[in-house]
Amino acid sequence: MTPATSASTLAEVRNLASARTPHILARGVALDFAHSGQRQRVLADIDLAIPKGSFVSLIGPSGCGKSTLLKVIAGLLRPAEGEVSVAGLAPQEAARQRMIGLVFQDATLLPWKNALENAAFLQMSGENAAPREAAMTQAREMLRLVGLEGAEAKRPRQLSGGMQQRVAIARALTLDPEVLLMDEPFGALDAITREEMRQCLLDIWERTGKTVVLVTHSIDEAVFLSREVHVLGGRPARIIETIPIDLPEPRTEACLTDPAFTRAEARLRSLLIESHRSGKRT
Amino acid sequence: MSATEHNAEIAAPDRAWVSEVGQRLSAVLPALGLAAAVLLIWEAAVRLFNIPQFVVPAPSAIAVALFEQRVALASASKATAFEVVFGFVLAALVGIVVALAIVRFERFGKALYPLVVLFQTVPKVALAPIFILWFGYDLAPKIVLIVVIAFFPVAIDMLAGLQSVEPSFVALMRSVGASRGEILRRVRIPHSLPHLMAGLKVAITFSVIGAIVGEFAGASAGLGYVIQFASTQLETPLVFAALIVVSVLGLVFYYLVEFAEHLLVPWSPKFDRAHAGVVAT
Repeated sequence: MTPATSASTLAEVRNLASARTPHILARGVALDFAHSGQRQRVLADIDLAIPKGSFVSLIGPSGCGKSTLLKVIAGLLRPAEGEVSVAGLAPQEAARQRMIGLVFQDATLLPWKNALENAAFLQMSGENAAPREAAMTQAREMLRLVGLEGAEAKRPRQLSGGMQQRVAIARALTLDPEVLLMDEPFGALDAITREEMRQCLLDIWERTGKTVVLVTHSIDEAVFLSREVHVLGGRPARIIETIPIDLPEPRTEACLTDPAFTRAEARLRSLLIESHRSGKRT
Repeated sequence: MSATEHNAEIAAPDRAWVSEVGQRLSAVLPALGLAAAVLLIWEAAVRLFNIPQFVVPAPSAIAVALFEQRVALASASKATAFEVVFGFVLAALVGIVVALAIVRFERFGKALYPLVVLFQTVPKVALAPIFILWFGYDLAPKIVLIVVIAFFPVAIDMLAGLQSVEPSFVALMRSVGASRGEILRRVRIPHSLPHLMAGLKVAITFSVIGAIVGEFAGASAGLGYVIQFASTQLETPLVFAALIVVSVLGLVFYYLVEFAEHLLVPWSPKFDRAHAGVVAT
């Protein structure tokens, strides 16, 4: 099979898949962790349908299982029950075909590579590894998109925490994934940098139209960025409520004072407090 | 005129360099002062109490021995240095191979690792006579002894480096379909290099010890041989002189490895400028 035909069949598969089903779909997902010999259910009855190009947040108290759910969507964990699909494919398969871009709380950059090489690294790895030149060109473009033009040759330790996280985002985007899964990507950053990164993420989303799933414990972050917020809680964790966010797009600073913003924020806060209490009781 | 201009141009970096050397000097000055004082007291005590030279030689007598026996000491150093380098390189290779094997072949590693650790508890210095018995009086028993003593820190440190890659990064690599081999080659091995260098620094020190012990057990050349021979002849100043040469040799080798570290892993976290003030050097 020549590269050209494989690329076109791949595109066909993607188109077919997106036409038929929501971009990310979870049905009746449950997950167990083995805990000192005992199986403990951490996720139960998770149903999710995320349309293509949407921006969705998963929010909940720390340790509730929201990161675990993201890992299931990413194909890093296999659910005990139920099924998950990303662009119509099993998550592992979708990941292998580079449809999933992952960003964690820690940038996890390689200290011996510069920003450009780090951004290109994953694209040059694995089964469908791109040739070095192509990966570097894409990575350079993505570094520009995340606002790191001129920092290509810098090693991670010469970059600030926010800049390192930008490289990690560029690394995920270099795969040209269909979905971007982010696990508290700004959790380790200071307040000002966080706000910059939010704006940066919004720009990326608007420009690339990727489907984004963001795990966060910050209420205003979830409201400001998302079209829909899923609140997780309880033990095992379920989606206790899904809140659509009706704010004008593109989102701007003005949204922060919009009555809809304040309402959604207040609703989420009371849900989280409730979920936090119910989590403590068990 | 142009000369003074030129001087003015380089004056700034020049002065910075001078002040840095000055700072380093002032850092070692107390230690140098104390060492000089100890040597003076030593010399004075030996002369004052008429201590026989074969018991404790005066520093001056050691200096004389160093100078008079310089040819013998130089050729002994050459023999020892050769053993150290040869043994160290082999020990490093064995250590690296053991670490890679443990990580790459999981089952084999599970069998090998406990044995390696168990072997480490054997006092290997005590093996020297056996190696002499097996391999004769030449180079071979010394090399084997060095390898046996020095491979362990290399293997253990490299292993720690190979295994300490962030699990989330490994997950990223696996998710795009990277094989264990690819992750080992492109991520684990480079990640382990700073750890490896730390192991090599311990190994080079052990290598010098291994060479000397090997020569004690039976040799016809080398600094260990000189020390043993001179002590049977009650030539204590020469014993001390050889000791000094051994120490200098060890120091030179150590700094050669440290120099290699700067060249090979300049990105190592230990060279991070932000932490330079925290880590004592």
